[in-house]
Amino acid sequence: MKFTEEDLRRITMIAISELGEKASPELVKKVVSKTVEGFEGGKQFSSGNEKASGRVILTAFGLNKPGIIAALTKALGESECDIQDLSQKIMSDFFTVIMVVDISGSNKELRDLQDSMNRVAEDLKIKVFIQHEDVFRFMHRI
Amino acid sequence: MPYEFDEILETIRMTEVEHFDIRTVTLGISLRDCSDRNIQTAKQRVYDKIMKYGRNHVKYAKEIEARYGISIANKRVSITPVSIPFDGFGVDELIQIAETLDRAADEIGIDYIAGYSALVQKGMTFGEANLIKSIPYALSKTKHLCSSVNIASTKAGINMDAVNMMADAIKQTAEITKDKDSIGCAKLVVFANAVEDNPFVAGAFHGVTEPEVVLNVGISGPGVVLEAIREAGRVDLQTLADVIKKTIFKITRAGELIGKKVAEKHGIPYGIVDISLAPTPAEGDSIADILMAMGVEDVGAPGTTAALAMLNDSVKKAGLMASTSVGGMSGAFIPVSEDMGMIRAAEKGNLSLEKLEAMTAVCSVGLDMIAIPGDTPASTIAGIIADESAIGIINDKTTAVRIIPAYGKKEGEYVDYGGLLGKAPIMSVRKLSSANFVGRGGRIPAPMRSLTN
Repeated sequence: MKFTEEDLRRITMIAISELGEKASPELVKKVVSKTVEGFEGGKQFSSGNEKASGRVILTAFGLNKPGIIAALTKALGESECDIQDLSQKIMSDFFTVIMVVDISGSNKELRDLQDSMNRVAEDLKIKVFIQHEDVFRFMHRI
Repeated sequence: MPYEFDEILETIRMTEVEHFDIRTVTLGISLRDCSDRNIQTAKQRVYDKIMKYGRNHVKYAKEIEARYGISIANKRVSITPVSIPFDGFGVDELIQIAETLDRAADEIGIDYIAGYSALVQKGMTFGEANLIKSIPYALSKTKHLCSSVNIASTKAGINMDAVNMMADAIKQTAEITKDKDSIGCAKLVVFANAVEDNPFVAGAFHGVTEPEVVLNVGISGPGVVLEAIREAGRVDLQTLADVIKKTIFKITRAGELIGKKVAEKHGIPYGIVDISLAPTPAEGDSIADILMAMGVEDVGAPGTTAALAMLNDSVKKAGLMASTSVGGMSGAFIPVSEDMGMIRAAEKGNLSLEKLEAMTAVCSVGLDMIAIPGDTPASTIAGIIADESAIGIINDKTTAVRIIPAYGKKEGEYVDYGGLLGKAPIMSVRKLSSANFVGRGGRIPAPMRSLTN
């Protein structure tokens, strides 16, 4: 993550005002560099005011048969993903499953997760899509 | 659940079934600091600069693609109009710059790099004249390079000397690239009122008022709009406009998100989203099909221009609300070769050059990817460019001509490029001469902006 000079100046100003009387050049420097490191260590900085969430939407379609939810949730469980919401509909022989899954605690990157879900999808002959929640939030919420 | 079942299914349907994709993420790079008297130094500077910012462009875009499940069809680069930093160079040196740009594009894995350009709406420097002369050679010696020249603007009028030079350059490009159906002409655009932040190739360039580096996005999605219109059924036109706006709003939001995220990955400013509806030769990804779904029997039928005007206007209205920063062309593109529906209409003879010209008065760009007989005289091409530019400068909009006088081919034959450039039937052009008019040269004065009737 790169910081512009403006960002750094802003962070410094906030640090100074929060430190109040305790503010000394060394202390301010320490606080600012810590803050910057904190951002660089994983957290994303978004260009707008929207904060990226760690949730994805998993959608699965196909011909209904026993064991689909079991297979999906097993794969998610193995990847340490937290299922926060689940909804399904059956229309004649077909099913649609939609899950909201928190992957922030997962041991896998989104791409690896997509790969492992694709393997599940192939075994069961169903379709599985995983897309970041932001797409849905951007498209359907003002 | 934070989202409705239907909302989620709608998004999946758009991305998986209806060809909704981000058409292009275009990295704009300034080359203004690359000028040097020595051609070798200049070439090295250009190469280094493109590598510096563009090295990870494709990789970053692919990462974002995977994260959001929305495909990004093209990753491209636009550069400062080459005539600006390299005004001191002659034809041979400019061609070397073109080859360097091509090599850099190849290295970073993009399909097109655009900005072999000059802005000569009022007059031209020696360097700019050299650049125009070099275009046919530059395009024939490169694979990824695209060129554009702005020859008119509302503030300056139409530079007819430049129009004539461009008509010659087009003819010459067609001849030099005749082995590949005159493909050079598919990468050469003549503009009136060119915009500086257009992410769509072939007409993209990184304008002189743009920052050091910027990321612009072009969205697409005629398929999505088509489905929405079909689903709406027989409703009145206000309702239909509303349906179009709602759809465009959603896809623009997605474009905005993708653009911001790719820019964030690069650590560079996010520029604009261009809300154009850009067709591809894929079935169902067609502007012509949208116009037909709106109710005209085929493109070219009376009513086509009105339908296109409404479509274009709805696209703009919805996009403006959806994005923090709209720019580029932002409307509906009507290229012939890149749109199955347009190809069909031209084959059947329903769509003529004249009707297309009328349609360009209300669409986002102009006469785009149109093949004409190879024996069309340069003065006729100059006449076509002048007509199109006049529409642009009088209506205060961008217009462009990307026309292919297919060398050695006649009306009824085809030029076929495959891929995104598609296939175009050669259309008939009036045999009447414009030579005495365009041959006068000089400049058509800038139009007045009041008493606009």
